[in-house]
Amino acid sequence: MKRIFTRIVFLALLFLSSFALAQNGTITGKVIDATDKQPLPGVTVKLSGSATGTQTDAQGNYTISAPANGTLTFSYIGYANQDVTINNRTTIDVNLAASNKSLEQVVVIGYGTQRKRDVTGSIGNVSGAELTKQPVQTPTQALQGKVAGVQVLGSGQPNAQPQLRIRGTGSVLGGANPLYVVDGVLTDDIRNINNNDIVSIDVLKDASAAIYGVRGANGVVIITTRKGKNGPPVIRYDANAGFRELSNRVQMANRDQYINYLRDASPNDVARDVAPLTTPGTTDWYDAVLRKGLQMSHNLSLAGGSEKTTYFFSANAFTDDGLIKTNSFDRYSFRSNIDVKITDNLTFGTQMSLTRSNERPVPLSGVYSNVYRAAPIIPAQDENGRYGNTSIWGNLGNPLLSLNKTNNQTINNRVQGNVYLEYKPIKSLTLRTALNADAYWNKQRNYNAKFAADGNIFTVAGGQQFSNFSTLFIQNDQSFWTVWDNTATWQQSFGQHNLTVLGGFTQEYIKTDLFSGSRRDVPEDPDLWYLNTGNPDVGAVYANSGTLFRRLSYLGRINYSYAGKYLFNTSFRADGSSRFSKKYGYFSTFGAGWVISQEDFLRDSKVISNLKLRGSWGQLGNDNIAQGLFITTVQPNLPYFYNNSLTLGSAIQDIKDPNLKWEKTTQFDFGIEYGFLNNKLTGEIDYYNKKVVDALTNVTLPAILGDPDALFVTNAASYRNSGVEFAIKWSDKIGKLNYTIGGNINYNKNEVVGLNGGQALLGGSIGNQGNITRTDNGQPIASYYVLQQTGIFQNQQQIDAAPSYNLGGYGKSIGGMVYADVSGPAGVPDGVVDSYDRVYAGSYQPKYYGGFNIGLDYENWDLSADFYGNWGNQIYNGRKAFRANALDNIQADYANNRWTPTNASNTDPRTIPQNMPASTYFVESGAFLRLNNLTLGYTFPAEMLKRIKINKIRVFAASQNFFTAKRYSGFTPELIPADVISSGVDLNGYPTTRTFTFGLNVEF
Amino acid sequence: MKSLYKFSTITAMTALLVGTGYSCKNSLDVNPQGEITEAQIISDPNVASNLVTGIYNIFFAGDAFGNDVRGFQFTVLGDIASDDADKGSTASDYGDANTIDQLTANGNNGVVNNIWKGYYQAIARANQALSQLQNAQFDATVKNRLIGEARFLRAMFYFNLVRIFGGVPLLDRVPAASEANSPQFQTRATAEDIYKFVIADLTFAAENLPVIANNSADVGRASKGAAQALLSKVYLYNKDYTNAYAMSDAVIKSNNYSLLADYTLLFRQVSNNSKESIFEIQAGQNLACNAAIDRFTVAQGPRAGGKNGWVDRGYGFNNPSQSLVNEFEAGDVRKNATIITINPSNGANSVGTVLYDGFRIPTQDSVQNQRYNYKAYYSRQAEPNCGNFDRLPKHVMVIRYAEVLLIHAEAALQTGQGGIAQSDINQLRTRAKVPTIGIPTLQQIWHERRVELAMEQDRFFDLVRQDAVQPGRAAAAFAADGKTWNANRALFPIPQQQIDLSGGLLKPNPSN
Repeated sequence: MKRIFTRIVFLALLFLSSFALAQNGTITGKVIDATDKQPLPGVTVKLSGSATGTQTDAQGNYTISAPANGTLTFSYIGYANQDVTINNRTTIDVNLAASNKSLEQVVVIGYGTQRKRDVTGSIGNVSGAELTKQPVQTPTQALQGKVAGVQVLGSGQPNAQPQLRIRGTGSVLGGANPLYVVDGVLTDDIRNINNNDIVSIDVLKDASAAIYGVRGANGVVIITTRKGKNGPPVIRYDANAGFRELSNRVQMANRDQYINYLRDASPNDVARDVAPLTTPGTTDWYDAVLRKGLQMSHNLSLAGGSEKTTYFFSANAFTDDGLIKTNSFDRYSFRSNIDVKITDNLTFGTQMSLTRSNERPVPLSGVYSNVYRAAPIIPAQDENGRYGNTSIWGNLGNPLLSLNKTNNQTINNRVQGNVYLEYKPIKSLTLRTALNADAYWNKQRNYNAKFAADGNIFTVAGGQQFSNFSTLFIQNDQSFWTVWDNTATWQQSFGQHNLTVLGGFTQEYIKTDLFSGSRRDVPEDPDLWYLNTGNPDVGAVYANSGTLFRRLSYLGRINYSYAGKYLFNTSFRADGSSRFSKKYGYFSTFGAGWVISQEDFLRDSKVISNLKLRGSWGQLGNDNIAQGLFITTVQPNLPYFYNNSLTLGSAIQDIKDPNLKWEKTTQFDFGIEYGFLNNKLTGEIDYYNKKVVDALTNVTLPAILGDPDALFVTNAASYRNSGVEFAIKWSDKIGKLNYTIGGNINYNKNEVVGLNGGQALLGGSIGNQGNITRTDNGQPIASYYVLQQTGIFQNQQQIDAAPSYNLGGYGKSIGGMVYADVSGPAGVPDGVVDSYDRVYAGSYQPKYYGGFNIGLDYENWDLSADFYGNWGNQIYNGRKAFRANALDNIQADYANNRWTPTNASNTDPRTIPQNMPASTYFVESGAFLRLNNLTLGYTFPAEMLKRIKINKIRVFAASQNFFTAKRYSGFTPELIPADVISSGVDLNGYPTTRTFTFGLNVEF
Repeated sequence: MKSLYKFSTITAMTALLVGTGYSCKNSLDVNPQGEITEAQIISDPNVASNLVTGIYNIFFAGDAFGNDVRGFQFTVLGDIASDDADKGSTASDYGDANTIDQLTANGNNGVVNNIWKGYYQAIARANQALSQLQNAQFDATVKNRLIGEARFLRAMFYFNLVRIFGGVPLLDRVPAASEANSPQFQTRATAEDIYKFVIADLTFAAENLPVIANNSADVGRASKGAAQALLSKVYLYNKDYTNAYAMSDAVIKSNNYSLLADYTLLFRQVSNNSKESIFEIQAGQNLACNAAIDRFTVAQGPRAGGKNGWVDRGYGFNNPSQSLVNEFEAGDVRKNATIITINPSNGANSVGTVLYDGFRIPTQDSVQNQRYNYKAYYSRQAEPNCGNFDRLPKHVMVIRYAEVLLIHAEAALQTGQGGIAQSDINQLRTRAKVPTIGIPTLQQIWHERRVELAMEQDRFFDLVRQDAVQPGRAAAAFAADGKTWNANRALFPIPQQQIDLSGGLLKPNPSN
């Protein structure tokens, strides 16, 4: 009773006093996040120069009484403060911008979190809101250009996982991709993660990843999914739909250009250009095989909670049909994240996702490369549905027919998540046990229909494209992966001293099992696509195999800071892995930091708001290879016949290294974090030096050892990546316009510093040109090692004066290539151009890469643009170089530029015969700059929505890859390599796409 | 005091956690799943015999145009490179075979690399089996027989290598990977050393292998006769005519082999493992339908061209040359058994070319080439197959009785026994339905050799051998085929990839 009385009196006094000061009015409004437009509850709203203040409610709304000429200050942890003059308004809505590099921001550091300002390692962070702006399948695709030092190689192929390179390529075989950790689950594949579920992505770029020991060498990408918050249920619906189309189309030669080329390249074949095998017009094979593909995503989520329980549920449907006809991909994912406080010191929680995807893939190497090769004079299909017979003309299958006669399907089901129990026996100690699991059941079904090379299928019968019988291939593939984490974290402050000690162990168990079967003569009706309907007696094949793999690791970490100024941390991990004969590896790291801006002499600086020096050193490992590579195995069941009866033999032939061990990375990092002018200008600069020794390598063996694929896995190389990362961001506003401009650039030097035994690694095999990359001491990984083209022979005199050629039948001719004689068997020019004259001609490893982003916010409108690019790398135009057949089509630009008696080109040869050796002619610049994402959004005014009880509606239009500026003449300068030592060799890549989407975000 | 309590709690908890983990330490020893390890088979009594069967299986090696032992790429070297055959197919198809046909291939040629890889893979299998056999504890006769089979096969592999490349690295055991770049294994032995090694292997085999009759359960395995026959050929290449005579004579005197009466049936499925066959590569049908040499027959099958419009039988490579056609005497039945001749169009009366199984190839205007290799043809309608046209179960002859007679004749002539040579040659001529001759000259024996063994992947090597006996032979023969011979071409180039991988220890051939 007394309390109520006091309040009334207080309010009355307040009322009176304000009355006395000025004409006080009631001001209402809503505070939302400037980026994701989510309401912000708990924001402090204060009248400047007074004690008057309030907080926003769960919907971000506030009411405050203030004079019309006053100023309101909005403040919230993790966001930049904002002062707004009232200026006689009664409604003031505020967009509060997250101060991205804010001191209070928390980053995930593996088995724990830390305030960004206490971190001594180099950690990049991207919020979920930034990721969901981009209509892409995987969150890593959306990372492109966002984090300094992270290179993302994307592809237009549905369900392709982008490849990440953190601070350069540091491994050849052990996989150059980072480790992904999704809510504690370690994985290599995050294609199951719904972008909308992500609250943040943290990238451990330096030795701080050593807490993941043998998995950390390529960096660690930690993905944290959303959890519910205490408050009423919030329902969100996010959708976008659009289409993808081919970007950067390469124009192929038309009929006339092609026939003109053949007159020079294969004159005998020109006479074969007769109907009905050929068509009088030009066939555009890309038109015949490509289309616009649908892309669509629908996402529904529900979040909320009470003091004891919080929850987050989501469901997502994602469709990406891709560009190539018959290709399609659908993914459905569900998530449930729940946390329950059982008692004050005991918490139970679970984060679970369930994903099912259904894909109809297309065989790229067979079909898609044929689209490039197919002659423009062969019809794709006639009006009766009969196909042009490309195999009669140029010995390749009609790609459209191949697509239509193939029906492959891959269904993936995956459950990923964890359950954990957290116990705090005393305030400073947290004991946590978590069981993380990742299980999948995949089914692959490939059906190849039967068809003959006859007149029903083809316009002209004959050739080598036929299928004697239908085949059905079924494969069931399952994997069960568990990680059991047990950690104890002790956190205590002694005055100015802060200490956090972590200790624990983790156990991993991975079991996979694969069962496949294949039968023939299965009918064409999809309802009958089961092995039972096929022929059991002829050509029936079954196979079953599996892997088992275990790891056991102990880890510890100490973080210490004094007065928030002096920082120190060290971590240690001992990792045991069943993949090696020498099981255990030990990895440690040390880091230190000095927050200069916390020192007295800077604390009150108006200019410098944050300045920190930090450094770290550590060792990390990589064991990302197959199980059992050090154990010699036997190949059984090799058939032979004695007196016509089948006898099975065996062979021991794969060469194994019994002493296989980790590859070890030692990384040094020195960084400066800065913030100026109240953190309007923020950023980081890092220098790093990362050396990998004992790198696991697929060494090509001399054939004399008899290994069937002549490959051998061993610790045979050392690499170094060193470089500088620079990130900067400016956020401010002009009137009602909030804007952010940020950018990052990374300079990286990739170098092979040691090869055990001195054997260079050869990769990038292109037909007759052989291996065109060479990974050798002092060169970047997978450097092109080819002849130097210096021009084109214009006349006989030049030919007579030139050195002789010993190039596998490729001789000197007018209009042919001039190659430099740079060396010989004795190391000096010898008057003969041969394999001794190969030179290093660059690599796909970029010298510079980075991105810049612009964000604008004007009243209800928002616009953002993200650019990404790289410079200083080269691509080997393998499509152009690989003449599988002399009758393969050529690019229109080459057709126009090539040497002819009337076009005296000094760059492009008259013809590209099959025996033309690899040379710098095919090496092109890989530099590009791309407008990765362009988004324009409009958020409906909150007052308008109040009446229909909707918190928020935002509509947007976005384009992914709106344009790419590039110098490469092929489809895309972004190439996902089949293996690291073949990087940059463009052969069969899926075309890159441009996406246009429209979307909607609704929140109830 | 309180913090001491906390500290002990943490220590206790940590100790507990670490302790739990420690107990699982041994679980890190994990065997490969579903793969038999070398250690596991040592105790298997069948391991040695299985490993020997595994050597024979290498004949089926490789995927399309991959590692090759006696597949189509060996045909490129033995036939296409010679004056017996042209590359064939369309002009542009298979550039690597084209440069070999034109005698211009260098070390980057894929065919020589695939052959090199295939043969060393085969040798590694033989060495692996031999190393297991050394340790095996069982009956000495059985053991020596298995060793004999492995050594026979190894000798055959080295014999082909030395004929193709000259001296090559000599491996008599499986080296460890760490020895991969040791000079011992990378350096080329001399051709003489290789021949010595081959002779030692074959001599052992001849002494320890049993005679195998053509109705025995062991047909297909290396036999005493096979070892002696191959040895006689090896001696012939070494101009050791006395031993060549002795070994071929032993084969003849064994009375285990004879000529098949009808030459035209020799290369058909009905004549598999006939009494004329001494060593032939087996093939058959298994459930996976892959138990045959990859693409040997389809690569050489008739190919549609021109007007097309028929379902053809292959890629059209390895066309018998005009020079070979000219070599046959009138009435020689071997000509039409060796060569499929495509007939020109004759208007409405065109019958095309009808093969023995009734398959009709249309006239020239719908066919890519003029001639095809009948000996490599496998009928899809008259002979059994399981539907895999890339691996039709065609047996491939390595050495047959007719060749032993030819070796016998040549060795006899060179050792002054002309009458014996005459009788050997006339056995072949009689079967071929051409007139018998008197005491033959060396040229006549070589003519007989060419027509008898045409398109059997022997001609190129034999021509090089003849050229060593009688310089100028090769130049004349190639000139008759429209090619220019150069002595540097007697040996094929060493694969550049292998030279690179050896760090330059492997030295090139003049043709590189």
